[in-house]
Amino acid sequence: MGWLHTWAGVVLGALLFAVFWTGTLSVFDKEIDRWMMPETRLAATDRPSWPPLLDTARELAPDAPFWSFFLPSERVPVVRIFYRNSAGDFTFRDIEPRTGVLLPDAGTLAGTRFIFPFHYSLHLRWNDLGYWLVGLAGMATLVLLLSGVVIHRKIFMDFFTFRPDRKLPRSSLDLHNLTGVLALPFHFVMALSGLIIFFTIYFPTVVSIAYDGDRAAFNRDAFGSFQRDAAGVPGSLAPLDRMAAEATRIWGGEPPYFVRVWHPGDVSATVEMRRTVARSVDLNVDAVHFDAATGEVLRTHAAAPVVHVQRFIAGLHFIQFEHWPLRWIYFLLGLSGCVMIATGYIYWLETRRKRHAAQGLPGVRIVEGLTVGSVSGIVIATLTFFVTNRLLPFDTSFVGQDRAALEVWAFYLVWLVTFAHAWARHGRAWREQCWAIAGLAVLAVVLNAATTGDHLVRSLAHRHLWPVAGMDLLLLFGAAVALLTALRLARRGSAPGPSQDALKEAE
Amino acid sequence: MAGWLLLAGIVTAAYLGFVLLALAQARPWQRVSQAAPPTGIRRLALRTLGGLALLLSLVLCLVRDGPSFGALLWATAISIAAAAVVFTLTWRPAVLRPLAKMVAASGGGWRVTQRHDKPDDPLGAGRA
Repeated sequence: MGWLHTWAGVVLGALLFAVFWTGTLSVFDKEIDRWMMPETRLAATDRPSWPPLLDTARELAPDAPFWSFFLPSERVPVVRIFYRNSAGDFTFRDIEPRTGVLLPDAGTLAGTRFIFPFHYSLHLRWNDLGYWLVGLAGMATLVLLLSGVVIHRKIFMDFFTFRPDRKLPRSSLDLHNLTGVLALPFHFVMALSGLIIFFTIYFPTVVSIAYDGDRAAFNRDAFGSFQRDAAGVPGSLAPLDRMAAEATRIWGGEPPYFVRVWHPGDVSATVEMRRTVARSVDLNVDAVHFDAATGEVLRTHAAAPVVHVQRFIAGLHFIQFEHWPLRWIYFLLGLSGCVMIATGYIYWLETRRKRHAAQGLPGVRIVEGLTVGSVSGIVIATLTFFVTNRLLPFDTSFVGQDRAALEVWAFYLVWLVTFAHAWARHGRAWREQCWAIAGLAVLAVVLNAATTGDHLVRSLAHRHLWPVAGMDLLLLFGAAVALLTALRLARRGSAPGPSQDALKEAE
Repeated sequence: MAGWLLLAGIVTAAYLGFVLLALAQARPWQRVSQAAPPTGIRRLALRTLGGLALLLSLVLCLVRDGPSFGALLWATAISIAAAAVVFTLTWRPAVLRPLAKMVAASGGGWRVTQRHDKPDDPLGAGRA
């Protein structure tokens, strides 16, 4: 089992770290959105005001086949409308919920549209390659956790053991075991639930065999989709407030979080409402469909038992519920997963460094570059993403790329540079990248204050700016950790441990 | 307010639970105390009390958040509590010294157990 754990870890660790890191950040994706989209830093509202919202929708997308409204919540103070624009592209805008005022185009993919999708798709759309790679990472996580438990010699005796004063291989192995064992239930459930969420991709036979490939029928049964064709005759729209109240009554007091008007303005228009997912772990699929003209209930949907189980498991992973202690615990446990992967790499490197140097093997050099680039490198890339967001003016465009795309380019280019830097500077790469992390994190905080005026004193004083304050505080905390790490590495001399001498000798 | 108090109770109970479980093991005990690690009935008592404290934190979780959120909160919070205990043992073992003193002082018969003690693996914990 040892070889399996070692090889799977070394080969897939970089991919795993990217998935773990972006997954950890996705816990606060909507808070990242507030930070990166200052125009959406609004005071929260319970209830949107429908007439102005519908006016805005009519103006924005008069001929759209549907309008989808995501209603404001504790973490999102805006209404987000999705629709097909005149060119037929699926698009969205944010709207002020009470006045219907259209907020300026986001100009960034921010947390929910860059970091979160990176977590499950790596933004590799070609043939669903990204999904499959992340699926591989999920399977690998399960295999690594199980084989890790098997090869762990003293799992109970070492349960409370961490010896940072020992030599690097030992102390990193302690930390690897600690984060692996103590957070084992979390990592296991996250990896497994991640696979189960995308069962229609990883196990497409569900749809192809049970439904003969009829995805619409599958969606109808599983998720309660319901549509009827447009009649082509103009019709009216009854007050949405009343329909929302009726849906809330049906769901025992829980309001809708999502409202979709199908064929708006048509006589056979329908209104679909989805029950809030904020109040239970289960990511429910409860729906009520109304006749738009009369406001009468046409159809209600609740999950079948098997879907219910799937949605509970999905809910565990997506944490769309409102529960701040759990959100922070998920964040910490996610970080512990990142530490587990990084220390696994460090252990591998430190136990082989001398031997590889003596025998002239390139393994350590290659893997060390991979480790630095995938661990501190992706952190630098993420911080660059934030800093770029605060530096580029709203309407920037460069070689045909708009601001949102430029931020993403900055992320990938800088990430690539960190790998090059790691391979070029090997022994000193850790320290130098820690300096970069500290500098960029502080810079991000300063730029946020300078460009939006929401410095910490102000953001802490206003409840609706707490997401911004939280992000700033975590950035500063991260900067402090990176700084201390850099200083410690500097005190140790370059490169971890005594092995630098061996390396020089080999050269 | 009640929610935050319960949360404090959950965290405290889980932390205390792992502290007691840790003190029942030789190596963590030796970080905290000079006395011989507890054996026999005292070790059993530590483990039982530790287990009960973890159970208490589960009950508090269920009271606070109901079955689904409560179970999830407990299952994740205990990982954090266990890590907090490890870091206490590593960097601030003195914090736990009063507790170890209480354990060491609870009842007599310490000397007898001390002689049979093998510091490396007196508990057979590796086999537990």
